[in-house]
Amino acid sequence: MKKLHSVVCVKVVPKPEEIRVDPDTNLLIRDGVSSEINPPDMNAMEMALKLKDKYGGVISILSMGPPSFENALRVALAMGADHVYMLSDRKFAGADTLATTYTLAEGIRKIGNVELIFCGEESSDGATGQVPSGLAEWLGIRQLTLLTEIDIDINKRLGRGRREAKGGFEILEVPLPAVVSVKTASNEPRFMDYRIKDWSFMPERLTFWSAGDLQVDENYIGLSGSPTIVIGLAEAPTRTRKQRYLVGSPDEIVQQLLDVLHIP
Amino acid sequence: MMLVKESHKNKTYVINDTLWERLIELTDGAASLCYQCGVCTAACPWGLVRKDTFSVRTIIRKAQLGLQNVNDTLWLCTTCGQCHLYCPRGVNICEVFRSLRDIAWEEKITADGLPSLLWSVFWNGNPWAQPPSRRADWAKGLEIPYFDKDQHEILLFIGCTSSYDRRAQKISRSLVKVLQAANVRYGYLGENEPCCGEAVLSTGHKPYFRDIAKKTIEVFNNSGASHIVTLSPHCFDVFKNHYPTDMLQNQITFEHYTQYLAQLINDERLVLSGQNETSTSEIDLSLGIGNIPKINITYQDPCYLSRHNQEYLAPRQILELIPGFQLVEMEHHAEDGLCCGGGGGRMWLETAPGERFADLRIVEATNTNAEYLVTACPFCVVCLEDSVKSKRIDSLKVIDIAEALALYL
Amino acid sequence: MVASRYTPAEEQKTIWVYLEQENGVLENVSLEILTKGRELADKMEWQLTGLLLGHDMGDISSSAFAYGADVIVFADHPLLENFTIEAYSDVIEKAILERKPSVFLLGATPNGRDLAGRLAVRFRTGLNADCTELRMEKKTGVLVCEVSGFGGGILALIEMPSHRPQMATVRPGVFEPKPRNHNLTGELVELNVNLNPDSIYTRVIERMVGEQVDLARVPVIVAGGRGIDGEFESLRKLAKLLGGAIGATRPPVDDGYIPREYQIGQTGVVCSPEVALCCGISGAFHFIVGIEKSKTVISINIDPDAPIFEFSDYCIVSDVNEMIPRLINALEDIQETTHEKVT
Repeated sequence: MKKLHSVVCVKVVPKPEEIRVDPDTNLLIRDGVSSEINPPDMNAMEMALKLKDKYGGVISILSMGPPSFENALRVALAMGADHVYMLSDRKFAGADTLATTYTLAEGIRKIGNVELIFCGEESSDGATGQVPSGLAEWLGIRQLTLLTEIDIDINKRLGRGRREAKGGFEILEVPLPAVVSVKTASNEPRFMDYRIKDWSFMPERLTFWSAGDLQVDENYIGLSGSPTIVIGLAEAPTRTRKQRYLVGSPDEIVQQLLDVLHIP
Repeated sequence: MMLVKESHKNKTYVINDTLWERLIELTDGAASLCYQCGVCTAACPWGLVRKDTFSVRTIIRKAQLGLQNVNDTLWLCTTCGQCHLYCPRGVNICEVFRSLRDIAWEEKITADGLPSLLWSVFWNGNPWAQPPSRRADWAKGLEIPYFDKDQHEILLFIGCTSSYDRRAQKISRSLVKVLQAANVRYGYLGENEPCCGEAVLSTGHKPYFRDIAKKTIEVFNNSGASHIVTLSPHCFDVFKNHYPTDMLQNQITFEHYTQYLAQLINDERLVLSGQNETSTSEIDLSLGIGNIPKINITYQDPCYLSRHNQEYLAPRQILELIPGFQLVEMEHHAEDGLCCGGGGGRMWLETAPGERFADLRIVEATNTNAEYLVTACPFCVVCLEDSVKSKRIDSLKVIDIAEALALYL
Repeated sequence: MVASRYTPAEEQKTIWVYLEQENGVLENVSLEILTKGRELADKMEWQLTGLLLGHDMGDISSSAFAYGADVIVFADHPLLENFTIEAYSDVIEKAILERKPSVFLLGATPNGRDLAGRLAVRFRTGLNADCTELRMEKKTGVLVCEVSGFGGGILALIEMPSHRPQMATVRPGVFEPKPRNHNLTGELVELNVNLNPDSIYTRVIERMVGEQVDLARVPVIVAGGRGIDGEFESLRKLAKLLGGAIGATRPPVDDGYIPREYQIGQTGVVCSPEVALCCGISGAFHFIVGIEKSKTVISINIDPDAPIFEFSDYCIVSDVNEMIPRLINALEDIQETTHEKVT
């Protein structure tokens, strides 16, 4: 029987609380900011690993980013995956989700023989949540989104997932291959397996691909492939709490509270 | 309907012949001394809160038979050490539990919430999922010097809990005030202070703990510190008893702050005045200036200072010197002190109401008619204060020794 | 440069809003976006169109007209009864390519996000996700969207001047739904639906629409702590009036006043609402971790030293038992007045 091959798309992101906007250039200051694996992608890893526990098979991690993300990706590998593929090229930089999903799709085509693609629901930096559907569209395959649980029919090659929506849930089934997005915090990601940790940091476990290694149309990658343009950036005012005291008689306070809540 | 169900709750027992040998290996032979007398189970505080006691003896028995413990009781242990104290053969039962937990990590059978705990230490350098860049926020406005080995006598090690937890931060600020009053030349590593790894050690992940110890020792080596004073007894215990000393470049003396302060008092560097001067402490002790009537206070022996490190005297020495305090011991004190319930990783696990040791402990405290329940550990402060609040006992306040001292300086 | 399936030069001066419905009732988020869409359409002097898919929906279009739609483009087909990504994407793709709206807005709901993600790729256009503000440039007809990133710490303004449709998903609970007039009516346009059942791969095995709110995504949370003494009924009322849900800290859960699913905090749910109203909560650290991502935190506590005030934008030192009933009364009064105005 065909081995189950899953890809988990993992993004390495800056720690959100450390990001600042340079008031002179209006650009994000990324220097010196520590990185972490996008937390929802950890949930995606765990869902893929649970399936691997049950059915065996292979898990490949796919990520688009600069070579400096390597260490974080090997940490994900040490959770129990088999290989890391990094799409790394200056030409990929500046990509919005259209270009990112296109590039990831090409990476998945190159990996080949993939039946399941797991993504976190959204990323902690951009938080667009568009990658899973976009990826499925580029690849022309099915999708199961916002899943809290998944199982597969290994004989019929079907994926069946529990999706929360509209205050309730749905149980949906699609034929593989399919993209699966995993609901944030729907599982507890396992810690690194120390029996495979050293092995995960060996050079052979990671492959770098540049734009030239993939069959990409250069119009569709990086800045060229990105319709959206950022015209302004600012640090949100909610960073430090206002600590404004509402005082007066109880009725006066209620009035002030309604104002705060924008209730006329 | 469907979907993946975890199978570790199945009822078939598979005997693992190597389990017992591994356990002997992991505990350096300590586990082999057990002859199943059951005194440990009788001594365990879980017997005070559960009718179906958590049987320490059975867990060890199962391990002897090669049966991995697959239910939650392995994680109930707070490593308070009461069992070890009474064991007629001196079996280091805390070590047995940590080793069984280590094996559980390998089998990937751990209590919920523990993998997240380890990830928090990994990505954030603290078990509280707090941003590393905010580790020194508690010290804002206090102008605490960065540690310089040529200028400072001691490196003050605050620890994760007292850096981030709002209640415990008050202990940090009080301790700094006391050190300043005694003109101690101390320094602090600020945002660069590493995690001691106690949460990882207690929950049993020995290989990851070794990685943490390595990194923290590197920080200590680079700093050139030779005398490190910790705020938490947990950090103190980990440095003193579990860090591989062969990796330290210099000889480092590790002390808990109560030990250091007791010495400062002996050296007359720290003098406790007889009057209640206007203090900027956050605790409102509305006693008159001048002759201070004595109020009852009682002392909670933190497990990691008392049973684990035999330090019963230094804290009491300090308390007895504070004017206005009359120390009254609780029914269970010193070696028999009742655990607050926070050790063994349980600060990060839910303990059901009705099963909280701290609830029992504050009853003992109120029986002494104490106004203050004084302790020397941030876990004890947080757990005991939580119980005081939930039981709405307005007459009792929980404070740390540093906070008590700060009142009188 | 990647090119979208139709250019700005080919666009129609219309703003389209994807309307979500359940059992013949429009979802709140759709009403919110219609209201905002109406505001934008008025500024641009463009047409506002609602896009509705389903089967046997009944007279649902009248509420869409009441909230400002000029036109409702709808598709009624048995294969559209349950949402499936394949059927809905295909029908919407065809409708949009035929009518070429300038702007296409959807709610950032589970289905809205799925549709938006697929269609943006299909149209080769941009998509701004989970927007908290929208603005149209009068001269250029360009939609400018405000989105937040990095856990809410960074705000960005984004546009896609060269691609159409200009797509955006809107965060539920940000815009206030305001009906204009319940007697308004408009144009109904029925779409010709040609769906092949074989192209629908998603099989809905089971479906349950319920009351359960996803605390992690709800726009308003009214959380109760020890100080409310288990009085969650009034909090429920208040939450409903504010269009949100209730949450709790650990003590009332421990005391059995409310199930653990409602617990917010480090060992419970971490949420990021627009507004978190904390009632009778002291502000223990592990609770704060659960609401620190809120846009606005308002706290009511009788203890002036309660740590929660440090984490709050608006602080009310008062007895919750006094404030909550007054707040409820005030909100109920406003609700009555609004109903009177419209009918």
